Amino acid sequence: MPQLASFDLSSRFSTLATTTAKLEVQLGRLRLRNPILVASGTFGYAREMAAFVDFAKIGGIIPKTITPVGRIGNPPPRTVETASGMLNSIGLDNDGLDTFITKHIPYLTSLAAPAFANIAGRTIEEYAEMARRLDEFPQLAGLELNISCPNVTGGVDFGTNPESAEKVVRSVREACSLPVVAKLTPNVTDITAVAKAAAAGGADAVSLVNTFQGMAINWRKRKPVLGNVLGGLSGPAIKPLALRCVYQVAKAVDIPIIGIGGISTIDDVMEFLVAGASAVQIGTANFYNPGVSARLVDELAAILAAEDCSDIHEIIGSIHRPPATGC
Amino acid sequence: MVANTSGECGMVPHADQHQARVLAQRVLAHGTYAVRIDARELSTNILPGQFFMIRPATGTDPLLGRPFALYDTIVDDHGDVTAFEFAYHVIGKMTGLMSHWEPGEQVELWGPLGNGFPVYTGKHLLCVGGGIGYTPFLAVARETLGLRKYGNKPSRYENFQPAKVTLAYGVQSKRHRADLSDFESMGTMPLLISTDDGSEGRAGFVTETVRELLDSSHEDRPDGVYCCGPEPMMYTVARLCRDARVPCWLSLETPMACGFGACFSCVTRVKTDDGWDYRRTCIEGPIFPADSLAYDGV
Repeated sequence: MPQLASFDLSSRFSTLATTTAKLEVQLGRLRLRNPILVASGTFGYAREMAAFVDFAKIGGIIPKTITPVGRIGNPPPRTVETASGMLNSIGLDNDGLDTFITKHIPYLTSLAAPAFANIAGRTIEEYAEMARRLDEFPQLAGLELNISCPNVTGGVDFGTNPESAEKVVRSVREACSLPVVAKLTPNVTDITAVAKAAAAGGADAVSLVNTFQGMAINWRKRKPVLGNVLGGLSGPAIKPLALRCVYQVAKAVDIPIIGIGGISTIDDVMEFLVAGASAVQIGTANFYNPGVSARLVDELAAILAAEDCSDIHEIIGSIHRPPATGC
Repeated sequence: MVANTSGECGMVPHADQHQARVLAQRVLAHGTYAVRIDARELSTNILPGQFFMIRPATGTDPLLGRPFALYDTIVDDHGDVTAFEFAYHVIGKMTGLMSHWEPGEQVELWGPLGNGFPVYTGKHLLCVGGGIGYTPFLAVARETLGLRKYGNKPSRYENFQPAKVTLAYGVQSKRHRADLSDFESMGTMPLLISTDDGSEGRAGFVTETVRELLDSSHEDRPDGVYCCGPEPMMYTVARLCRDARVPCWLSLETPMACGFGACFSCVTRVKTDDGWDYRRTCIEGPIFPADSLAYDGV
């Protein structure tokens, strides 16, 4: 594997001087000004959020998944609300890599926040080829590999089998010099096995979790509600499940973890950090509280100050350390 | 005729997120209410046919915002827009909860969203509303008749000429029929009611009223149609307009999670050079020229 430069984006995108506590976090080769990112599939390609979010505040943007060629997506209805959550089966509706490069990368990389690309392929070669093309854009903060989408045929396969997870991560690492984050599915017996495999393949970090596979039924019609029958569950309803996954993976691997799953309040953020996440992604909350991500950055600074905490690393993974004084 | 005035795809440049208070709530029809919201900025920006998303300010169940169209703006004695009203029909968890909202209730809302109806530039606009679908047409009628302006861009009214407006309103029965006094108070506007069971007005579907109006050879025949209601009704109206060569715009309602283009839930089939593609109703619509849509039979 080639020797790779570190990506210190903390100076290019410095934290606003609203805090005395250090919010910078290290995700493998990637250094970010703060740990509040926004999750793929919940933030469009960032244009959609410009009216609601001060990009200069948040730690990073992960746009919607792109595939080598465009996909029309699944038939509607594509989402349905459930108790404190929602099911979606969008089906990776996107215009493909070429359009991403010509239309979205110029916008994303002009913003005052680090922007990733999130990619999905049907084969290892497709992941590697997309990574090669995106390697021409060093202004990207990194690649997040969607090896965990439950809503497309074959989409979840790389994330349910540790061997193929390791292979796909390694092939992307060899194809490009950008930091690589593997996004994991919780729809497995043992998520730590897949996390270890991603680490062995050279992932800079793992992000978890993608949605839990679920279903909604209209019993009067004797029919599924979603056009694609099954969907992925997200929102506050899955937070305890996601938190469990982060806690377990933090015990199992040494690479940084980005926690995802039902995070909508500052207490949620703190719980994931304590459980071992070095950063978090805000997902479904962007839909029902579009300005939430930037507000959470302010709230994070405030809560660390209130806790008399000078560095966020005192919080990260603290549940796994023996009790200490201070925060 | 008029152009569809949607902004750049994927942008909601004039939207913002606010917390606001419920000022009042009143009954419009059986299970249908109008809620008044104390949100001055949104009220001054929103256009007829645009929508916003609203949810309780706290709690996670219900979780997602729900989209509602502008019913009308509230103007004080000085002519300043101070609040707005939207209408809803009780059908599920959120609307059931909303029917218990009292003045002072805190709500979270974001908007204005979507493109809205274009300013009408013909001579006689026919608005066709099915059930709750009649409600966006109060603001449309006020604007088209030249009684009120919406939004804060004077450019919207360049070369504006008031036009005649007719409302064709279809509803299940007299018992379900809405109080149309807000429309009646405008005086000059024909209101054509039809009920499915014939308990009031014309018996049968509102589409028959539309067919008759479009078939007329009278010089006062409608030269444009705006339509909002159940999909089968809208697509029937679209076919009648296509056959009569009268331009028609539909206001679509598709299940939405965010309202601003991030979630890709609310897609509808839009014609393209090589067939059709799914497009987001929230940012490319919700108002579409009927002939731009790919639906059965067109």
